[in-house]
Formats: sequence, structure tokens, C-alpha cells
Amino acid sequence: MKMLEGKIAVITGGSSGIGLATAKRFVEEGAHVVITGRREKELVNAAAAIGENVTTVVGDVSRLDDLDRLYAVVKAKHGHIDVLFANAGAGTVAPLEAASEAHFDQTFDVNVKGLFFTVQKALPLFKDGGSIILTSSVSNIMGLPAFSAYAASKAAVRSFARAWTLELKDRNIRVNSMSPGPIDTPALATTTGLTPEQAEQAAAQFASQIPMGRRGEPEEIAAAVTFLASDESSFITGVDLAVDGGMAQV
Amino acid sequence: MRDMTRLNGKTAVITGGASGIGLAAARRFIEEGAFVFIFGRRQDALDAAVAELGSNACAIKGSVSDEADLDRLYAVVKAGRGTLDIVFANAGAGSPLPLGQITADHIDETFDTNVKGTIFTVQKALPLMGDGGSIILTGSSAGTTGAPGFTAYSASKAAVRNLARTWAEDLKGTGIRVNVLSPGATATELAKEALGEEGQKAYGAMTPLQRMADPSEIGAAAAFLASSDSSFMTASEVAVDGGLAQL
Repeated sequence: MKMLEGKIAVITGGSSGIGLATAKRFVEEGAHVVITGRREKELVNAAAAIGENVTTVVGDVSRLDDLDRLYAVVKAKHGHIDVLFANAGAGTVAPLEAASEAHFDQTFDVNVKGLFFTVQKALPLFKDGGSIILTSSVSNIMGLPAFSAYAASKAAVRSFARAWTLELKDRNIRVNSMSPGPIDTPALATTTGLTPEQAEQAAAQFASQIPMGRRGEPEEIAAAVTFLASDESSFITGVDLAVDGGMAQV
Repeated sequence: MRDMTRLNGKTAVITGGASGIGLAAARRFIEEGAFVFIFGRRQDALDAAVAELGSNACAIKGSVSDEADLDRLYAVVKAGRGTLDIVFANAGAGSPLPLGQITADHIDETFDTNVKGTIFTVQKALPLMGDGGSIILTGSSAGTTGAPGFTAYSASKAAVRNLARTWAEDLKGTGIRVNVLSPGATATELAKEALGEEGQKAYGAMTPLQRMADPSEIGAAAAFLASSDSSFMTASEVAVDGGLAQL
């Protein structure tokens, strides 16, 4: 038997990077996935790359109407959810002295408010015994200059896993956060506001701070998320699983 | 019957492998394709385990707190398999002794097995290990929580958690990963006997998941850490404790 045979999984931020790699792995393990993201073209490409057992819904997790639409599609198509990977997130570089209100609001709207309601609105469809995985970050326990809003938002995500573990224990729904270290995805170059040279420098600097001496691959995060999604982790709840090459552990 | 074979052709050593969590991990590693050496102190328990595990298991009698025993273990591994991929340093011991009654012997016994034994179990394995190797250390939820009466045990498990941090740095460049697996209340045969029905209920009730773990659930997490599914994890701690020490 595969690890997620017949399971229905929802993945936010599912069109690229960690979300896309996880969607691929989930489908390999027998799941049907519903992926959501803001950019239609990327979603279509992602669905083509996944190949089968995938549904796409364009939407932004920071918009509650979009979430309602997402779950309406899930309900119509599958009727229930077994696994939710609340993975959509955003982070831009802004030193404390220069950060604007818009920078702060955007970060918390997506990473904190968006994730909060992604989970809340999934609950009516959730099957007892399901698994919820929240994407936090090594930055939830590290000081990273110019990433303070991002890091604080990810600490909030880690905290959600604690409270929700207790709130959902009677339904036997497990809630864990997963904290990747620096991963080799397009996001560093395309979404953080760094120039290509800065992004390259940042990547090299990250690698030097990681005991494993390299950044992670999206597939390596997907493998860990699959473990948390499946019954293989049936006694694991409330944890923050660091998948960071040791970066925040030593 | 699962068709997961993530550990095909791998060689594993499991200390404290004749019963409880160690035996559950041995079952699981073998199911996933590994050959497993189990190491333990009691010959009768080792014999029973091998009888159950079959031809992909080999038992060696010894204590992790005895360096000569560990040398013998790895000599057998080297002769039989040549190299080693997975070490599950799982042998551990702990009994309660409240502050005020702690003796030097109690501290020595606990630390000899849980800390010194773990250090030499790993150090002596390294010459047989290489790129892609995975070391798993058994920690405990007691390593991060206050467990009344368990001064020595809890401190020894906190030490084990740190070993993985230091060794991830020491093993830089080798391709060998090292992580800690920290169980909470687990319903091993030994625990069930010691706690009785009421005790098991009480331990279960302390845990957010409202029950004790089955040893197979710890074995599944050990298999994850042993396999390439955890290839970007080192120096991490995986708590398999039903949320006990997480909230």
C-alpha cells in the first residue's frame, strides 16, 4: 500500500517550489490533490507537471472569499479532506528602519491571517483522523536581519500548531508545523526583492551556515511533509519538524 | 503487507534491539528491506527476537556500557556485511529516584548506559559508515520536560539531544546524518507490565492524543529517519510523543 492511497489533500501555494514538489509526491503516494495559488498560468503548468489526480483553484489565501471558493470546489469534487498542507507564504526583505506598513501587513496577511483561515475554513470538510501540516520556517527560532516580519509571522505559525493540537484532539486531527531551512526554489530570486547577484550571494551564504553544506531540494521537504501527512506519523502532533540540514539545530 | 522498501540492501545496528522500541524498529527496518543486527544484554530475549525476525536479523549479546562488547559487535558487523548504513542507538535505562535520595551509583548507572554508551556506540560505528549513513539516537520527552523523580534519566536524555547537535558539526562533509527520536509514553511490554492498566490510562491521559504510543509508531518514525525520506534532516529532534512535550 502507498502512504496516501485514496486520500484527499489540499495544498495552498501549490504551484511551485515546496508546494508543487509535495503535490507531486502526494499523487505518487496515491492521493488526489487540490492545489491553489494566485497565478493561473503557474497553476496550469503545475497541474500538467503533476499529471493526474489534480484539481486547480486560482486564489489568494489572504482573501477569505477565495478560500470559500477553494473549499466549495473541494466539497463539490471530493466531499471531504484528509490532509491539508497550509503552505502558501510570502516574505520580502526589509530592514527594520526601512520597513513600511504595507510590508508588514502583506507578510502577516498571507503567512498568519491567510493560514489561520485556510485551516478554519477547512474544518467542516475535515475527516476525523486527518492531518494538518503548516509551513513555518527555521526563521521561527533564528534571528535573520531584514527578515523580522517574516520570521515573526513564522513563529506565529509554529504557535498555531500548539493550540490547534489541543483544539482538534477530540477529532483525532493531528496538527504539526514543518520548518524548512533554505531550499533551492525560484522564490529566493523572484519574490524576496533581491537582485540576481544578491540572491546568489544569499544562497551561498546560507549554504555556509548549514551543517549539511548545501541548501535543500523541494523534494526533500516533500518527503518530510508526506511523512507528517500519512499514518506513518500517527503519534506525532504539536511538533515543529525542522527540515533544515541542521541550520537552526546546532 | 506494505511494499515500501526504502531500506533495501541497507545494514542496520539497533542497540536495545531485543524488545520494546528497538524490536519494533527492527521489524520495520526488515520489512523495508534491511539486514539488522540487534544488540542487547539478555540472551533469552535476543533468541526470541531473532526467532521472530527471521533470517535478516542477527543477534549479538552485550552491553553498550562495555567498550569490549561494542568492539565485538562491530567486528561481527564488519565480518558479516563489510559496511554499515544505519545505527539506531536506542539502548537506554532509567529508574526514578527523588531528589534527596539520589546516589552516586544511580547517576553512574544511568549515564553509563544512556550517555557514555550512546557516545561509544556511535564512535565505534563510524569506521564502517559513509555517505548516506543515518544515525538515530533515542531521546525522550523527559529530556525537555520536568519528570518528577527522574533527575538522572531526564538529564541523560537532554545530553543525548545535544549529542546530535555537536555530531552534526563533527560529521560535516561525511554525508552521515544524525538525529534524535524522542518518544513519550510508549506501551512497550515492559511499560505495560510496570504500569498496569491504571498506570497506562494515567500516562495516556497526560498526552494530548489521550493514549500511549504503540511501539510500531516509534518504529515508523525511526524508519523515516533511517531512510532517504529525511535526507535534509540532521541535528533535528523528532518528537513521537503524542504532543506531550510540544505544547
